[in-house]
Amino acid sequence: MTHLLSIVVAAPVVAAAILLCLPGSARVAVRVVSLLGATLSLAASVAVAWAYDRAAGGLQLVEDYALVPPLGIHLRLAVDGWGVPLLLLTGIIVVTGVLASWSVAKRDKDFFVLLLVLVAGVFGVFVSQDLFVFFLFYEIAVLPMYLLIGIWGASHEVPAAGPFRFAWRRFAVGGKEYAAMKLTLMLLVGSAAILVAMFLLWNEAGARTFDLAVLEGTRFSLTTQHVAFPLLWLGFGSLAGVFPFHTWSPDGHASAPTAVSMLHAGVLMKLGAFGVMRVGMVLLPDAAVVWAPAVGAVAVINILYGALCAAGQTDLKYIVAYSSVSHMGVVMLGAATMTANGWNGAVFQMFAHGIMTGLFFALVGIVYERAHTRTIARMGGFAHPLPAVAAFFTLACLSSLGLPGTAGFVAEFLVFVGAGQGAHAWWVVPGVLGAFVTAVYVLRACKTIFWGPPPTGEFAELADVRGTEWGAPLVLGASLVVFGVWPRFLLDYIDVASVAFLSRFPALP
Amino acid sequence: MPPWIQVFALELAVTATALVVLVCDALRPCRARTLAWFSVAALATALCTSFVVEPAGTAPHGVYAAGPWSLFFERLFLAAGILGVLGSLDWLESRVARRPAEYLFLMLMSLVGAMLLAGARDWVLLVVAFELMGIPLYVLAAYAKLDGPPGEPQLAAEAALKLYVTGAASTALTLFGLALVIGAGGSSSLAGLASPDVAPLASAGMLLVLAGFGFKLGAVPFHMWVPDTYQGAPTPFVAFLSVAPKAGGLVALVVVLLHGWPRHHELWAPALGVIAAASMVVGNLFALPQRDARRLLGYSGVAQMGYVLVAVCARSESGVAMALFFLVSYVFTNFGVFLVLHAAAENSGGHALDQITGLSRRSPWLGAALLLFVLSLAGIPFAVGFWAKLFVLLAAFEAGLVGLVVTGVVLSVVALFYYLSVARSTFMADGRSAEPVRAGLALRAAISLCLAAVLGLGLWPGPLLAQARLAAAAFGGGP
Repeated sequence: MTHLLSIVVAAPVVAAAILLCLPGSARVAVRVVSLLGATLSLAASVAVAWAYDRAAGGLQLVEDYALVPPLGIHLRLAVDGWGVPLLLLTGIIVVTGVLASWSVAKRDKDFFVLLLVLVAGVFGVFVSQDLFVFFLFYEIAVLPMYLLIGIWGASHEVPAAGPFRFAWRRFAVGGKEYAAMKLTLMLLVGSAAILVAMFLLWNEAGARTFDLAVLEGTRFSLTTQHVAFPLLWLGFGSLAGVFPFHTWSPDGHASAPTAVSMLHAGVLMKLGAFGVMRVGMVLLPDAAVVWAPAVGAVAVINILYGALCAAGQTDLKYIVAYSSVSHMGVVMLGAATMTANGWNGAVFQMFAHGIMTGLFFALVGIVYERAHTRTIARMGGFAHPLPAVAAFFTLACLSSLGLPGTAGFVAEFLVFVGAGQGAHAWWVVPGVLGAFVTAVYVLRACKTIFWGPPPTGEFAELADVRGTEWGAPLVLGASLVVFGVWPRFLLDYIDVASVAFLSRFPALP
Repeated sequence: MPPWIQVFALELAVTATALVVLVCDALRPCRARTLAWFSVAALATALCTSFVVEPAGTAPHGVYAAGPWSLFFERLFLAAGILGVLGSLDWLESRVARRPAEYLFLMLMSLVGAMLLAGARDWVLLVVAFELMGIPLYVLAAYAKLDGPPGEPQLAAEAALKLYVTGAASTALTLFGLALVIGAGGSSSLAGLASPDVAPLASAGMLLVLAGFGFKLGAVPFHMWVPDTYQGAPTPFVAFLSVAPKAGGLVALVVVLLHGWPRHHELWAPALGVIAAASMVVGNLFALPQRDARRLLGYSGVAQMGYVLVAVCARSESGVAMALFFLVSYVFTNFGVFLVLHAAAENSGGHALDQITGLSRRSPWLGAALLLFVLSLAGIPFAVGFWAKLFVLLAAFEAGLVGLVVTGVVLSVVALFYYLSVARSTFMADGRSAEPVRAGLALRAAISLCLAAVLGLGLWPGPLLAQARLAAAAFGGGP
């Protein structure tokens, strides 16, 4: 029994505990300890990828500790083929996120503590094999967000207009506290639904255990499946940004500080999609097949509606945030196809989108720190003072619209192939249309911000990327290209799990 | 000394402590500090002894049964007593230096009443214990008649009067109901109502008794006194009031319903279900607009009682065990939250939410403690409150009470809104003053104890759950 997975999960917690003991004035030490904790997790994740036997598949690196024996709750850690790429993704985003938050000035110790706790929760979700512990980690991953956004976020006033003007004014829509509360409450409504579904499964399985392997071995009655599946879909889906429960995402991501946006859009939304697939679909195959058309149809709405919303935004962070809604639609579409290619594409899209949106938010953070504005109409010609930012932003845009050679292409291609092979081949059409709209809005944003004559006045003297800021663009940009030209490395892991999970499904119509 | 006296050993020890405190002070006025630390030492000794020598057996005529069940509550109340005395010490010294002995005496006597409830198997003993617990509280609520925090209206008299009038009314209801019940059963034993078919008059009596207990619990629709009393009475006492009598009311309710009237559940179970659901709904929704932290916590307490009643509604051994777990969690969490609030208010001149803003800047330690307690009340993982809420809902789910479970789950999300608003004023806003918050040694010790319990039990709930199951099993198999 190795302890690699424990190290992955525990490293951020230990780092957070050390931070608590440091004085708040030790600013460098705080950052170094955070970075060390994050790096240790990433290193352990890489070791996990190394140790995982792709030929054998299944659950590996199992660790088991009893947590609440009377209820059969175990801290059971193990990783499957889907977990490996997501662990790598989380590790990469965390390390780059810590580097990107090097300049946090206000109450920086508290910031890093909360960030690390959140990260431990994310890692925990991907490696828990006990449904209950899965849920525990899920909650831990969601909750620190409230404080992270509420304290360190940036308010963005949305002008009160329309029939609900009074309510908008009352709740200060667009403000960081509004965004934090909205995000937390919407996600916790989701987790309430998950909790009810969990009880249902636990009760019906009758083995007084939350072990996913045991639950997988149980064929739940159709009634239970049809009650539990929508609960899980919408519960986890609210975190994955499933329409119409996506509205927390633009507000939350736009208000959050850079590293938190990176983590939230880059990794946390994947927790939702991962939950829908790993818990909802795999445990409840019969209901999943019946509900697939609904899941797919909503995913199509996500893709198109998210892209159109993004095209209409004037605030840079809102554009990126809505693009996440759109791209998470691709993940859900891949999941709904119920084909090996579709699922591979879905998980690969989780990885690719995580890296890409992390890169986007890191760059937006860099631009905002210099220009102090997010309104793209006020920007222009930034490529002159900020050549490196412009180059990486363009790379992210290209991955976003699915250019071959970037990770985004591989993911979207697989999803569309899967959709074509599945029961609803027409899903390909809106999917491709979404990719087209994406091209329109990302390229337009890129053009408005970076190209054109050199800026004058207040923006003339912007400084390019420097110091630790290089970390995020370099690592994330390199990952986009490396995994774009060499997707095999990750797909080998993903495929072995997808095929195994799909074998549980009844013959598809 | 008759041999059965040892079943009351712990109650006698606390009574003796109370008398020593009172008499010593009467003979030669002592400082509050001396008396309080003496009481704490005595209670702690009793608590430790209870783990070494476990009282067991029954009193003559079966009026009292000691065993794991009663012991569980005696320990819980002893712990609550320790926290109550520790938490009040600084306030006693600084505000009411003249008469500390009476305060401690009354609190300890109230504790004795609460400790007797779990083992009572006879109506007479139960009612006497219930009143012994209740009557000192009326006095204590008015204790700081004009000594409230400076800058806030002095509401202690109003608080005490509300508590007294509703308390007296509820006692009257209980006694009237009991007259009917005992009359129908012909015995003052709790289990005296043997036949499942009861006369209409007796069933009316049972509902009256239920209503009487509802007042003590602060369950809807008998909750009106809760926010007003919490707002007016001295905060360290409210910390005690918000946990010990409520736990006492609940254990009395469990004993009466599940030991006395298990065969009449068709009569009381629907009523209890409605009370539980109404408490969760009203408590959580009315807490939303509150601006005074004490009123907010008052309504939150109403809601918490709704959750624990859900477990009682399950009418199963596991339901009782989960209710016990919930009570322990609630005692430590609510004590903690009120004590931190007290410390903050003493230094900021008020209990309004916008007066405790920026607490985490002024005292990171208190801010973190308040956050943890509030999250525990909200039921967030790795704080004990999460397990408490979860276990309760799980027990209800097993018993098929899906409606109550869904109500509880949905409202716990609503609750998060106001709990987070406490967290927001603690953490996010910059405070009005930047002065560090000062808290005395005893207060800090009490808060640390609560903090340790909330975190420790949150990370490792197994042992307490096992204890609760043991106690519940002993109760189920009891006489």
